[in-house]
Amino acid sequence: MPVAASAIYFLNLRGDVLINRLYRDDVGGNMVDAFRMHIMQTKELGTCPVRQIGGCSFLYMRISNVYIVIVVSSNANVACAFKFVVEAVALFKSYFGGAFDEDAIRNNFVLIYELLDEIMDYGYPQNLSPEILKLYITQEGVRSPFSSKPSERAVPNATLQVTGAVGWRREGLVYKKNEVFLDIVESVNLLMSSKGNALRSDVTGKILMKCFLSGMPDLKLGLNDKIGLEKEAQLKSRPTKSGKTIELDDVTFHQCVNLTRFNSEKTVSFVPPDGEFELMKYRITEGVNLPFRVLPTIKELGRTRMEVNVVVKSTFGAKMFALGVVIKVPVPKQTAKANFQVTSGRAKYNASLDCLVWKIRKFPGQTEATMSAEVELISTMAEKMASTKPPIQMEFQVPMFTASGLRVRFLKVWEKTGYNTVEWVRYITKAGSYEIRC
Amino acid sequence: MAPPAHSSRSPSPSQPSGKGEVSDLKSQLRQLAGSRAPGVDDSKRDLFKKVISYMTIGIDVSSLFGEMVMCSATSDVVLKKMCYLYVGNYAKVNPDLALLTINFLQRDCKDEDPMIRGLALRSLCSLRVPILVEYLVGPLASGLKDSNSYVRMVAVIGVLKLYHISSVTCMDADFPAILKHLMLNDRDTQVVANCLSTLQEIWTAEASNSGEASRERDALLSKPLIYYLLNRIKEFSEWAQCLILELVAKYVPSDTNEIFDIMNLLEDRLQHANGAVVLATIKVFLQLTLSMTDVHQQVYERIKAPLLTLVSSGSPEQSYAVLGHLHLLVMRAPMLFSSDYKHFYCQYNEPFYVKKLKLEMLTAVANESNTYEIVTELCEYAANVDIPIARESIRAVGKIALQQYDVNAIVDRLLQFLEMEKDYVTAETLVLVKDLLRKYPQWSHDCIAVVGNISSKNVQEPKAKAALIWMLGEYSQDMQDAPYILESLAENWDDEHSPEVRLHLLTALMKCFFKRSPETRKALGIALAAGVADFHQDVHDRALFYYRLLRYNISIAERVVNPPKQAVSVFADPQSSEIKDRIFDEFNSLSVLYQKPSYMFTDKEHRGPFEFSDELGNLSTEANVSAQKVEADDKDLLLSISEKGDSGFPANGSAYNAPSYDSSKSLSASSTSSDLVILETGVLHQASPSLAIDDLLGLGLSTTPAPAPAPPLSLNPKAVLDPGTFQQKWRQLPISLSLELPVSPQGVAALTTPQALIMHMQGNSIHCIATGGQSPNFKFFFFAQKSEELSKFLVECIINTSSSKAQLKIKADDQNSTQAFSVLFESALSKFGML
Repeated sequence: MPVAASAIYFLNLRGDVLINRLYRDDVGGNMVDAFRMHIMQTKELGTCPVRQIGGCSFLYMRISNVYIVIVVSSNANVACAFKFVVEAVALFKSYFGGAFDEDAIRNNFVLIYELLDEIMDYGYPQNLSPEILKLYITQEGVRSPFSSKPSERAVPNATLQVTGAVGWRREGLVYKKNEVFLDIVESVNLLMSSKGNALRSDVTGKILMKCFLSGMPDLKLGLNDKIGLEKEAQLKSRPTKSGKTIELDDVTFHQCVNLTRFNSEKTVSFVPPDGEFELMKYRITEGVNLPFRVLPTIKELGRTRMEVNVVVKSTFGAKMFALGVVIKVPVPKQTAKANFQVTSGRAKYNASLDCLVWKIRKFPGQTEATMSAEVELISTMAEKMASTKPPIQMEFQVPMFTASGLRVRFLKVWEKTGYNTVEWVRYITKAGSYEIRC
Repeated sequence: MAPPAHSSRSPSPSQPSGKGEVSDLKSQLRQLAGSRAPGVDDSKRDLFKKVISYMTIGIDVSSLFGEMVMCSATSDVVLKKMCYLYVGNYAKVNPDLALLTINFLQRDCKDEDPMIRGLALRSLCSLRVPILVEYLVGPLASGLKDSNSYVRMVAVIGVLKLYHISSVTCMDADFPAILKHLMLNDRDTQVVANCLSTLQEIWTAEASNSGEASRERDALLSKPLIYYLLNRIKEFSEWAQCLILELVAKYVPSDTNEIFDIMNLLEDRLQHANGAVVLATIKVFLQLTLSMTDVHQQVYERIKAPLLTLVSSGSPEQSYAVLGHLHLLVMRAPMLFSSDYKHFYCQYNEPFYVKKLKLEMLTAVANESNTYEIVTELCEYAANVDIPIARESIRAVGKIALQQYDVNAIVDRLLQFLEMEKDYVTAETLVLVKDLLRKYPQWSHDCIAVVGNISSKNVQEPKAKAALIWMLGEYSQDMQDAPYILESLAENWDDEHSPEVRLHLLTALMKCFFKRSPETRKALGIALAAGVADFHQDVHDRALFYYRLLRYNISIAERVVNPPKQAVSVFADPQSSEIKDRIFDEFNSLSVLYQKPSYMFTDKEHRGPFEFSDELGNLSTEANVSAQKVEADDKDLLLSISEKGDSGFPANGSAYNAPSYDSSKSLSASSTSSDLVILETGVLHQASPSLAIDDLLGLGLSTTPAPAPAPPLSLNPKAVLDPGTFQQKWRQLPISLSLELPVSPQGVAALTTPQALIMHMQGNSIHCIATGGQSPNFKFFFFAQKSEELSKFLVECIINTSSSKAQLKIKADDQNSTQAFSVLFESALSKFGML
């Protein structure tokens, strides 16, 4: 039984029901009260997103200031239920035009009821594909396609899905200018020991596409990944070109990708949905290029003084630069104030985070920046300072850089009318969880 | 896009003013109902929206039912949808009014627009009013034959809704047969998927009543159907794919070729973007290859990468759902994941529930090659600010130490923890050091040196304090101060709130006494006196027991309290392998996250007794009390033992009999420590034959000589069994006999409360360990022990007073004597008037 949800609730942070849909009668009426009593009003809230109370299980997740709670009475498929919620929220967002929060829900009661009725019937997920839903959702003026009345307005956003939902392509699309946008977005995770060894590092990446193409185009994407290149070399019986090849640990694709062809020929070929979608996701653990090195030295000078010295080096190409670099250095709770000296950016002490926060708006490649701070502590009766501190955390974005080294070698578009397309390719690497112990 | 025009006009939901507004709406709706003016639909839409937003924020607008239905005579789809929504919400509480809507819903079911047909049919089936089911059959039947797939899709689920309102109507109309035909022939995949889920639910529910239904249910797993679905799987939506994969996982292929064919076909599902599909595919792979060990291992290797990707992507909730499954696999085959241990390192910001699973996985995959790295990492967490995680990490280090051969380095780490001087770190570490010493007594010298430096004043947690006291007792010969530390603890007896600690203190003092008697004598005297006067039953009993044991024979007492111990080689696994296998069979469901099989939390029948037995499990440290706690009557009885001291307590099977009791009374009455101080010299070999105390401490030495041999099967009237052992035995043993007996009317009459029967059975040396249930269903768990040996009998007895039947399930250590025991049991029941 994949989900068989008995009910779905949307609650605000106080526990008021914003909207709910009871699909089945097999759970008691006061499920929300049970949820409020046993989960929201206790410390349990942060402990586990799946909880059993009485005969029911509550699967809940928080999205902005809303709790979405699925109640089941059977032995449900949890992964499926959470995926359903995530997809449903993405769908709502596309209808609301952006934000999903308490206000958006309050302003769209009727629409949400309509959607909830279509995407789930008697607890079984039905159709979450926006292309199909467009046919059945009446709110915002989209008429039934079967009725004779002409449709007045089109849903502007329903096709702009950034989800992995099955969205197949409509016939007869026409664009004046045929364009494809491809973004490789990587997030790099690092856990560095206090001695400067990378305990673990990996990259999770995704390829996002936006297609404005007429007709039924066939696309083929070539990457510099190892398997693909080897296969190609094998097929064309010529040696692999020198240059870096990337070994992908694991890849998942959007529905539109022909997996049989991927498995046999190792090429990514597909007929894209219209608009925005996530083409593939991948993970890499070997040969990660860490964009930044962080070298902290923290000295305790007596009971009331500390000296913090942090050197950050950028390792990417000199022509590139990182944006929005933030380095958070944790300090003890009893910190009174801190005096800074920085070579670039600005630093200050943030008492609510118990951190020294150092921000650098633009950080060029192959350079290094230093912050040294003198931290004054309030002397306390506590016999010992905390023997360890949380790790230093770092945020950044590096455009035109991939931590994995992945590159697009080609992106080919075929369509029977043979039009010309413009292809745009971008790369960006963001910090995932970038932690340096000190 | 949000409709800003509407939302600004509709009243803010934060100011619901109730009645006035509702009656206002009512009159406005009335005005519009008959109007045919242009633009009237737009004003109706606004009004309907208002009504629905009131409904959502909990204002009762059911009084508008009539007006809403009147206004619904419209061709506007938007209005119709809102009206359906309203009707669906209030029909259940207003069945009479719901009748009003039948007419227009039925008419809409015949509308020329398929969307309206579908919507109307869905609303009709969602009314959930039992008296209206007759109106459903017709529209459903035509809906299933509709030319439009949307209508058919709605109708199929409609059949399921009908089934849950009135299963008879659904079966009479022969809908399942129609669905079966649709499932195999419909071109629309969503219709097929809905047929599958509907039929699964209906046949599963019916299977217990009819053989045909259970055959039909099994037919869903037939080869043609499975192949039919598998070959089309790519056409189905991702949710329907999950459904099909779940079904395939239950399919039993006929040979290995078939298994490989299915796996080849599904291989690419592992690269699907939807994690739920990937997980469902993994389940298929795992289940299909269960019997093929080599391939099963290869499957593990194949699914590792997708699983690790799923864990690291998506929301924390999603990755938790996957992590639970990864955890299950790691626990099953830790070897296969030992090189991936770095994936289980915790990130600083991860929530507790994720970290906890990761710590357990780190513990499981530790082997000779990676222990150093893992333990180093765990030590980082032990110094973490997050206290629960620090505790878990220390426990993890301890567990690794217990499962490794080379513990040298780990012991050092543990001892370093003690030097961190954080209360909770010290507490956790003490418990671990205790367990380590039980397994590796050779380390005692190193550990004791450090443990000896810990001041007992800095240890507050009961578990840790108990561990410390245990070590003081066990190694009192190596620790200079042991008797004096114990003495100061004994002197502050009243400050010690935890019975667990007091129990350990008694035992530790006894052990210490046998090793260093001159130094301990005073402390033991204080402790025994305080223990006998203790209000806690267990503490009282143990103190009394020690006292008498000492009086009886000192050397026997030493053999009981301080026998030579063997190192513990393996600590008991809290979960039986049967349960683990069941959870594995239910892969990709809640069971995995709860770490217990589904019948424990979904099945109402099981949930009752199991909750009950859980409770027993928790109380098992106070086993004596808990067994009695079940009934109030017995509690009184207990009180009478400890306080009133009347000589007779019939049929209780208590370990004490009257004369020995008297001595205890005099003791507690004159419990002065001076009396006890001299006991060492005074009590030697003062045999008191009336003392027949069973092996209370479970130390495995029985001081009781066997009672006189008896007829073929006689039962031990003083049998003792703690609930934990009972549960364990019950799980392990097969049912050796199960029978159903009629119960006589007198028996039913006598069984006003469970206590009556329990008292009676106890008189026949059959002891009750747990009862449950309410009239008319009573459930009892009994046990009995053969008088001349340890062999036990366990009985589950369910008595239904309304059907006058008793169901017995007997399990026995010694299968051969089951028959004899069942005769005894039946005769005991019949003496009660049951049979």
